[in-house]
Amino acid sequence: MAQIRFSDYLSAHRAVKSEVSANLLTTVPELDADGKPIPVELEPMRFTAPEVLRLIQPYVSTRFMDQVKAVVPLALYLALFQLLILRQVVEDSLLITGGLFAVIIGLMIFMEGLARGLMPFGEIIGSTLPRKSPLPVVLFITLLLGIGVTFAEPAIGALQAAGQNISVERAPYLYALLNDWAGVLVLVVGASVGLAAVLGTVRFLYGWSLKPLIYLALAPVLALTIYCAMDPDLHVTLGLAWDAGAVTTGPVTVPLVLSLGIGISAAAGKSDSGLSGFGIVTLASLFPILGVMLLSVYVASTVTPAEIIESAQLAAGAAQDARLPWYQRSPGVEIILGVRAIAPLVIFLFIVLKLVLRDRLPRPGEIVYGIGLTIIGMCIFNIGLTFGLSKLGGNAGSMVPAAFMEIGSIANSPMYRYGVGLVIALAFAWFLGFGATVAEPALNALGVTAEDLTEGVFKKKTLINAVSIGVACGIAIGLAKLIFNLPLVWLIIPGYLTAIVLTMFSDETFVNVAWDSAGVTTGPITVPLVLAMGIGFGNATNAVEGFGILCMASIGPIISVMITGLWARYKANAQVRAARQETMISKDQEVQAIL
Amino acid sequence: MSEIIYLTDVAVITCVVDKQHSDAVLVAARDMGARGAIVHSAQGWGIRERLGALGVAVETERDVIEFLVSSDQQDLVFEAIFQTAGLDAPGRGFMYISSVDRAATYVPEAVRKQLDAELE
Repeated sequence: MAQIRFSDYLSAHRAVKSEVSANLLTTVPELDADGKPIPVELEPMRFTAPEVLRLIQPYVSTRFMDQVKAVVPLALYLALFQLLILRQVVEDSLLITGGLFAVIIGLMIFMEGLARGLMPFGEIIGSTLPRKSPLPVVLFITLLLGIGVTFAEPAIGALQAAGQNISVERAPYLYALLNDWAGVLVLVVGASVGLAAVLGTVRFLYGWSLKPLIYLALAPVLALTIYCAMDPDLHVTLGLAWDAGAVTTGPVTVPLVLSLGIGISAAAGKSDSGLSGFGIVTLASLFPILGVMLLSVYVASTVTPAEIIESAQLAAGAAQDARLPWYQRSPGVEIILGVRAIAPLVIFLFIVLKLVLRDRLPRPGEIVYGIGLTIIGMCIFNIGLTFGLSKLGGNAGSMVPAAFMEIGSIANSPMYRYGVGLVIALAFAWFLGFGATVAEPALNALGVTAEDLTEGVFKKKTLINAVSIGVACGIAIGLAKLIFNLPLVWLIIPGYLTAIVLTMFSDETFVNVAWDSAGVTTGPITVPLVLAMGIGFGNATNAVEGFGILCMASIGPIISVMITGLWARYKANAQVRAARQETMISKDQEVQAIL
Repeated sequence: MSEIIYLTDVAVITCVVDKQHSDAVLVAARDMGARGAIVHSAQGWGIRERLGALGVAVETERDVIEFLVSSDQQDLVFEAIFQTAGLDAPGRGFMYISSVDRAATYVPEAVRKQLDAELE
């Protein structure tokens, strides 16, 4: 009987091994005449094509999968809902699939460019500017930065895309704001974000509480909302104003503005208390509301609805006559938009770096690579936005009402009895909101911060669930608003009054987390999808405009997170009380035992 | 199963230096042929406490830098780091060499072919 040594058996199954002396692979410097070593020039590494592929594959695939995870479930949900519940074929499905693919690729390239190009840029300025320049200069640059980042925000493009679907006869001012005044609109939103960043920074320099700031910011916002709601022409612009707040706080604004804010407070000798980053996002989602409302009041005072309608019809007539030049047609227009979004921010950052800081970039090659990626990514994303997200959302929005009412284009509508169909439509909105939010990466980060800040009282999962449920309810309520044609004021005023009351009773930490959670939930995929869905839905149900869903999705999490916070505090107190009683009992027992 | 190439005659040089010296140390070691380094941020403790009032002159913010080098390189790299980090003055740092039994990493295709040619 043959015998095999156990170690031989094992080594047969192990990787084939060979031994090489490291001396063969390395170079030792030669000595010159004086016996001093001559520095070695390391030759660049040379890889064969398959090796390069293996190096790049994980770099690309993780970033690709990140975006796939964000886009595909939502798209599938919308498509399956249309197929199974509404039994409708998704129109232009090939075009939409291509568009969604462009969204995935575009966002992947954009996010990588952001991390490689714009973020290091922002960090250098954030850490050195506050130390080298006086505070007023720093705050002024913060203001300008706020404008720059707003233009670079991918979701802003969705507002412009939304403008094309507005009927000029029924909502002239809304049409004017989104078309003739679109540039000014973004500028106003940007300036509001800049102001919010300045105020937020000053806040944590002086350690102000966020609560009075919220009350002070909300008072004019709510007052102006009521004023606009009274005006027969202006009330249709309210939805846009309130949605603008949700659009602004995305993947470019939040990190860039925060890095500057944190840099300023660090230079002022304020240690990072963990809360210092908060508040800017809150203010950056409240101020644009005020800005857009003021702009619409201004527009209303300069032009009359009749003039807007006239000029729009003229423009429409002209568009049919002449073939548009390449820069006004797709995809030319998307590329122009992409370059126009990123270039001002980059030029601005560069001027600050050169003129104010007189500093150099640490790795210029990599930063240029990053900025190039940002622009390319933005262009591809914009194309995907037009053909993928906006189309899919618009399609879904115009189909869903068929569940409970008669729609001309759909043969056997209404498909269900009124009550059943209504429940289906609202459930559709609820799950859409929940699904889109649970997967949002920014929310995960906020959850981790919240868990740290509250020393584990508020679990990450609790926060994510609270915010998701808040957003889901918000979107469902927003849809209900469109179905029943409720004025937006009726929903906003009670919602924010509830939020104010809850703010009074909550701890500072929860106030910070809750109000910021409203801003982080609306990313570059959710915003265009929900906006387009709302507008499609509004057109199908003959509502005047389809805005207002996003702002309900902002107020929802504020309320739900603060309620959860109060509940967590109540439970923690109850536990402490129970623990105290227990120790008292055990002490009694000890005493008895001794006796 | 993929093939593992074990590298022998490997040494690890670990040095503890002031944070402001670490960039210079990295350059010096690279000039002597070191292929890469791992830098850890660290807090020093020891000599500062024993120096009394003079202890304020000793930095506590340190970098611990590890270089994996071949045994032929180790002395040159070691000396270069010693000079650059200024370890010939008190309170500047500490360094040591330890031999490594075996190491493994990815060996590029081109290098592998070259090795095969040399061995034959």
